Amino acid sequence: MDGVTLGGLVGILLSVVLVNNFVFQGFLGICPFLGVSRKIGTAFGMGCAVTFVITMAGAITWIIMHGVLEPIGARVFQDAKALNFLQYVAFIMVIASMVQLVEMYLKKFFPSLYTALGVYLPLITTNCAILGACLYIYMKPETAPFLNALVYAFGGGVGFMMAITIMAGIREHIRFSDVPKPLQGAGVTLLVAGILALAFTGFTGIGK
Amino acid sequence: MLEIVMAAVVLFGLTLIFATLLGIAKEKLRVEEDPRIGEVTEVLPAANCGGCGFAGCADFAKAVVEQRAKCDGCPVGGSETAAKVAEILGIEVVETAPFRPVIHCGARTADKLGVVPYEGVESCVEANIVGVTQACTYGCLGFGDCAEACTFDALHMIDGKPVVDYDKCTGCGACVKACPRDLIELIPFKQESMLVVACANKELAKAVRAVCKVGCIGCKMCQRLAGDVFAVDNNVARINYDNYTGDETEEVKKVLDKCPAEVLLYFGKPRLERVEEPVAEETAAS
Repeated sequence: MDGVTLGGLVGILLSVVLVNNFVFQGFLGICPFLGVSRKIGTAFGMGCAVTFVITMAGAITWIIMHGVLEPIGARVFQDAKALNFLQYVAFIMVIASMVQLVEMYLKKFFPSLYTALGVYLPLITTNCAILGACLYIYMKPETAPFLNALVYAFGGGVGFMMAITIMAGIREHIRFSDVPKPLQGAGVTLLVAGILALAFTGFTGIGK
Repeated sequence: MLEIVMAAVVLFGLTLIFATLLGIAKEKLRVEEDPRIGEVTEVLPAANCGGCGFAGCADFAKAVVEQRAKCDGCPVGGSETAAKVAEILGIEVVETAPFRPVIHCGARTADKLGVVPYEGVESCVEANIVGVTQACTYGCLGFGDCAEACTFDALHMIDGKPVVDYDKCTGCGACVKACPRDLIELIPFKQESMLVVACANKELAKAVRAVCKVGCIGCKMCQRLAGDVFAVDNNVARINYDNYTGDETEEVKKVLDKCPAEVLLYFGKPRLERVEEPVAEETAAS
């Protein structure tokens, strides 16, 4: 396959984890980022679940785009992009199915994590980081090869996991700090998120 | 037109694939769940108040079925729910008294001595930190943290002291946690109304008299007259609710007559003419 080099893959991974982190630079997936970042254990579990879903969804949507929608568009309408309007519906369906799968899996093998994640587990369906990753994969020229797309999606999940785990670590400590009353709860959490995002701009320039 | 048809065909195909996939996964990853858990959840009040100590009604249902909790563990549903739960589980339920809060301070605004004008935050927790709003350091501060904590609108501040509306109260215990002076206690209401020592002051008689008109002076009269029901510990009388049945026995009647302070109050639904009325008013003057 052309376009796949080890350097390129590492570049994509670094880029999506550190530089163009979905949470800090893209403002995607903020809802679970703030909602489930109270305990490190739960946050890490959520990160793992999202990483799994995002990787699977990225791979399957790539196959759907390049194996179903584009060929049909090209053959029936003589235009590869003719069925692109189906992207959103098809992608959301893929993501929803993957989430169902993860939910069943967790319920069977990690019931404690299943209860801890609670309502946020089905809400992965609407996690915009996942749909964002799938749409980006199709939009960006460097993720056109399957392997690149896979690494991009996986990196997005790892980036999300890292972000939410860091956030949970900080929030566990904030509980013991003397936060001014008006800022307690959501206020200080959003401040921390902003400062974290600011700190991550320091990675700008690494990779691409 | 062709586009619409193609879109329908493509989506139908994709849906079919994923539906099959999920169908297989559902069979492979099936979790054996006791059907009784769902049935028990149905009969619970669905208040999700956490009064039982579990995270919501569904969690409690699971605990009951797994025998980690008793079938009468739901404070909101009471004996009615307990009976339904027991029926589902096929066990007998033993009738137990519902636990309801009582307040170990009966001082009305006029009874409190040494009350200082307080212009701080209107909250018991804050006032308790300041500690100088009134002379009694054990009694109710009267800012109504407990009334605010009550989600069932069953606790109201009347004349400077909290009054429980036992028709609305579910015994969830939110008020118990809210009181910074630990004055509220959940006791088993074996009868419609129960006798309560409405004082928590651990000082000696003289010090109590100096801060409150209706405080328990720890004279041990009640302990002498009915030792198995009353006990004076740390200069304040306490009722042993294991032995006290709620009946007004001869012994208890004698105590009510002899108690020199106005601390023995009936909490709960009206009983004769003595509801919330300080007992033995004549002797209190002495």
